[in-house]
Amino acid sequence: MTANLRAVPDLMRVGFASIVAYRAEMVIWILTASMPLIMLALWNAVAMGRPIAGYDQDALARYFTVTLVVRQLTSAWLVWALSYEIRQGALSAKLLKPVHPLIHHGVTMMSALPFRALVLTPLVVAVIAWRPALLAWPGIGPLVLGLIGVGIAFAMNFCIQALFGMLGFWIDKSDSLFGAWFSVWVLLSGYIAPLSVYPEWAQALIRLSPFRGMLGLPVELLSGELGFAEGAAEVALQGLWLAALVWVTAATWRIGVRRYGAFGA
Amino acid sequence: MLEVHALRKVYRVPKKTEGLWGSVRSLWNREHEDVVAVDGIDLRIEPGERVGFLGPNGAGKTTTLKMLTGLLHPTSGSLTVDGFVPQDRAVAFLKSITLVMGQKQQLIWDLPPSETFLLNRALYDLEPALYQESRAELVELLELGDVMDKPARNLSLGQRMRAELAVALLHRPAWLFLDEPTIGLDVQVQQQVRKFIKTYNQKRGATVMLTSHDMNDVAALVDRLVLIDKGRIRFDGSLASFTKRFAGGRRLVVRGPSDLASAGLERADDGSWSTIGDAEAINRVLQDVLREHPGADVTVADPPLEEVLTAAFGAREDAE
Repeated sequence: MTANLRAVPDLMRVGFASIVAYRAEMVIWILTASMPLIMLALWNAVAMGRPIAGYDQDALARYFTVTLVVRQLTSAWLVWALSYEIRQGALSAKLLKPVHPLIHHGVTMMSALPFRALVLTPLVVAVIAWRPALLAWPGIGPLVLGLIGVGIAFAMNFCIQALFGMLGFWIDKSDSLFGAWFSVWVLLSGYIAPLSVYPEWAQALIRLSPFRGMLGLPVELLSGELGFAEGAAEVALQGLWLAALVWVTAATWRIGVRRYGAFGA
Repeated sequence: MLEVHALRKVYRVPKKTEGLWGSVRSLWNREHEDVVAVDGIDLRIEPGERVGFLGPNGAGKTTTLKMLTGLLHPTSGSLTVDGFVPQDRAVAFLKSITLVMGQKQQLIWDLPPSETFLLNRALYDLEPALYQESRAELVELLELGDVMDKPARNLSLGQRMRAELAVALLHRPAWLFLDEPTIGLDVQVQQQVRKFIKTYNQKRGATVMLTSHDMNDVAALVDRLVLIDKGRIRFDGSLASFTKRFAGGRRLVVRGPSDLASAGLERADDGSWSTIGDAEAINRVLQDVLREHPGADVTVADPPLEEVLTAAFGAREDAE
């Protein structure tokens, strides 16, 4: 484990060099994930004159701007990378290395963060310039919880993508199944609408689901919509979901790698 | 030491009849068939040996290498490399081996080899001094000085293969598993790669196990041959004993005389005459030829390895 940690700085450095090599694709990919800004424009029009589900125009601008940032900090592309590597046999090279392939991938995904921040900054600055009132201090407690929540959300997204990617050990096109999951995620994670827009019963269910912890929860904490006490309980639940996902991911890896055919490599 | 006992690997492969109807049927009725790639092999390799693992396509060579390096889990049987069970992927085991398969294995395609070197330094947790020493040595031996800072995609096949080898050996593994290490390379680079592998083996005492269809690789690099066919080992021994067993003796080649058919020799495309036989028979023919044609140019040597290998697999076909 210590050796794995020692490897992190160099892995991040080489990961960053790869991101820079693919900078044009990366910029396009980041910009295509700017759906929260489109949703902001839509909701802003709907909320003109009267608040929607407790959100006025400033609160909506704050929510979707934070959503944009948190989404960028917590997203990954592991599902495509892993299913490709399994199908093409490219996983072999990683399996032969002393660092676990998923740790290697995790560090590579994290090394994209500075580049993402670079692309995001002008977008966020533009939104703030358009609606300066969106800047609001959430409070130290929710802020700290929110940052922890962002870390857990990244790990949850990573595990979910690892699980869908690992389906490649059993089926040919595992990434297409991820599309189905993503559709549900878009609806329930808070990506296109805040939780309070949904009926009470749906809110209760979503709070218990893993979708909430993958985006909406840290967004609400960082945008000051959720207090410390309530937030702490939800972050604890988010932690439980992560523990379960880590366990399932590790178990699936152990079983899946036995089926690996190492074809084409 | 590498020890393999009754090692077996069976692949379960989906079967689909051709055409549209076959595709539609496979939606609800997916059939599979079991393909035996390795069928109960036993093997023992001592540290420092150079072993050639030969056989026709689909014989089970690469599958065996993948099991020995832990990429594939065997269906049954046991194997250990220096006491490690490969598929457990213990860190110490992974640090002691390398597997080279083709020219697109390790190098990061859009970055220069120097970045892949750095990556491997991190992955193998190499001490800075060891890394610098090993890198400098490999760059010199494999003549990589000019290519270290060029993106891998811009390198020629030969440069890429040499860089792949260097990256694969950066951590100074004790076990080298090489799958067709010279395939697709020009003659000069092939020789360079062979020389390097032999030097590495001698300098580091590393064990080399390689598969190849190029008999020049085998002749230049290998002390011991393991022949595998249809997942089973057909021969395991020294190069000399292999030739002795399958070549049917030594080959007499005579150049000069226009017709030696009466002496029992066969004419080759290049106009020479030749025959294969044991020492006594060759001696007898040689005396006859030299009596009739005192100025003839004669050579006696082992037949080319390709021919011996063809004979070896031909003998298997005949036996079946």
